[in-house]
Amino acid sequence: MAKETKRDYQTMNAKLAEIIEWFESDKVNLGEAVEKYEQALALIAEIEKYLKTAENKIKKITTRFQGPSLEKEE
Amino acid sequence: MKELIFSPADFVAVFNQTLELAYPVVAIQGELTNFRVSRNRWVYFNVKDELASIKFFGSVYQLPGPLQDGLKLRVVGTPRLHPQFGFSITFQSIQPVGEGAIKKAADFLRAKLEAEGLFAPERKRPLPEIPRRIGLITAANSAACADFIKILNERWGGVEVILADVLVQGMEAPAAIVGALDHFEQISPLVDVLVITRGGGSAEDLVAFNDERVVRAVAGSRTPTLVAIGHELDISLAELAADQRASTPTNAAQIVVPDRRHIIIQLDNVGSILQKFLMDTIGTIQTDLTGGRKYLTSQVFSSLDQAKHSMEASRKLINVFDPRAALKRGYAIVKKGRDHVKSVRQVVKGDNLGVELSDGKIKVVAE
Repeated sequence: MAKETKRDYQTMNAKLAEIIEWFESDKVNLGEAVEKYEQALALIAEIEKYLKTAENKIKKITTRFQGPSLEKEE
Repeated sequence: MKELIFSPADFVAVFNQTLELAYPVVAIQGELTNFRVSRNRWVYFNVKDELASIKFFGSVYQLPGPLQDGLKLRVVGTPRLHPQFGFSITFQSIQPVGEGAIKKAADFLRAKLEAEGLFAPERKRPLPEIPRRIGLITAANSAACADFIKILNERWGGVEVILADVLVQGMEAPAAIVGALDHFEQISPLVDVLVITRGGGSAEDLVAFNDERVVRAVAGSRTPTLVAIGHELDISLAELAADQRASTPTNAAQIVVPDRRHIIIQLDNVGSILQKFLMDTIGTIQTDLTGGRKYLTSQVFSSLDQAKHSMEASRKLINVFDPRAALKRGYAIVKKGRDHVKSVRQVVKGDNLGVELSDGKIKVVAE
């Protein structure tokens, strides 16, 4: 089975926001509501796990930054 | 000693070679005089003290901002004897020296850039709520860099920090900071936010952040900028040009990412809110069902009521036409045999007639 693409906070949070928006709308469908609620709980658990484990990556640029070379008098 | 005889050109060449060997780069500190800019490109001025005055030459791109005669400056450059124009120092960098001069130079620049609208609030862009990639411009081995990364790691994870190691003070700092800003302009995709930071220091230490080239590069950045210079007193011009400023490197990390602990608490709240939403959904469905039942019951009762009213009306109407009601009021029904007598012409003398009253019948003979 193909490994699921690693999900980031922004993507998961956007999905959660979509579900909250659905609940805030006037749609009332019990079957769908239960399904969405379960999806939301799973997402919340996943986001919490991500927040507790994700680490920052520090990448140092190797370029040495300096000013432009001095223009010579013509 | 044997007398050396040079041609002017040879002397200039030898002189320059000697200078290059002995003093390839010099730093001279003094008061600025005769400052002028030619064709918007070439800059000429002298730096003097009580006893001497030295000529300088260079390009406007090396200026730290607008300058005025009388300012105390430190100028770094290469001394050189020009074949036609004589001795001058080609400057590479200029820095105001002493709090008075630094403040004065910053004030000139501030007035100039303010007039251009570089610090206008409407130019400010919001920083991304949660960045995926941060460009960090600072001295890699500084406490400021360590503080920023420490707080960033404490608060949030999953961010890629691209660190540009630059000098944040000294004559070369402005060019280095501008170089790093240029680098972040070139990379694709752009980072989500640029953080430029250093710790506190004297006015002289922080002078690079009042350099026109740095301030313009910050203002011109395509990526939103956060500048955090750890100092209490005057705000640097780079901070004024940035989309947002922070008071210290730690404060910069606090602004640039949220605290994961707060988000986790919020997520727990979201769980409770969604549970309430679900219960509300169930409640709404129940209310709808109850409402439907009530509606149907009321419809049935209303139909029954209507039927009852209708029957009552009919009954009243029938009563009006009931002949017995007329008999009660004193009228009588006269019959001859089986026929109702409606006219005297139907009756002749001696006819036996039946008269019906409300409480009984009597027989009579017509006379």
